[in-house]
Amino acid sequence: MPTKPAAQSERKTAPELTAAIDLLWTRFQPEIRKRVDLLDLAVAASAAGRLTAEERETAHGAAHKLAGTLGIFDLDRGTVLAREFELITEREDKFDSTAAGRMASIAAELRNLIENRK
Amino acid sequence: MLIIDDEDDIREVAALSLESVAGWDVVTASSGAQGLARAIEHKPDAILLDVMMPGMDGPTTVQELRKNPATAKIPVLLLTAKVQSSDQRRFADLGVEAVLFKPFDPLTLSDQIAGVLGWS
Repeated sequence: MPTKPAAQSERKTAPELTAAIDLLWTRFQPEIRKRVDLLDLAVAASAAGRLTAEERETAHGAAHKLAGTLGIFDLDRGTVLAREFELITEREDKFDSTAAGRMASIAAELRNLIENRK
Repeated sequence: MLIIDDEDDIREVAALSLESVAGWDVVTASSGAQGLARAIEHKPDAILLDVMMPGMDGPTTVQELRKNPATAKIPVLLLTAKVQSSDQRRFADLGVEAVLFKPFDPLTLSDQIAGVLGWS
């Protein structure tokens, strides 16, 4: 049976790891905010009836990244919301009022979660 | 362990997790091409590889790793935020050791990897 690689690095306790992840959150929060900005841009363009395929794909990609990232930072609700936005924007460039409203609601809740992470 | 992911936040949390929880040595790369070079240079025990990357994506990187005798036998674990079953079938066809899903738990990621690879 293969053996685990030899431990070389200094190990951290769970609280130390959490504190280190919190520092990374502080560092990456601006980038994560920019991803929500891209969702907002798509929401605004859709509301104005001028969402392009490129804007939709950009927002879709940003939602995909948010879905993969937020849970790592203990924002599981954020991952669920971002995944829903990702699914809504998977193919269509035009959204009915229900979908458009939901996209706006998701983007707003995501921003709130990100701004208020403790 | 080599981590290949274009997203800085994911890559850094994964590296922190594996170094801090398991104490493993970790090397990182931010693209498939850089990952191939790091794999040849460092001969990692395993590779944690993101699926969706600009340029050379994860599946293509796996194919390139398998073509090179120096890296062909390195275990690869794909890391993805995709949850559709069609994607999972496509990943299974690549012959990777496992598909792990984002978001991962930084506290248990190393256990997950060790479990899949049968590391004692």
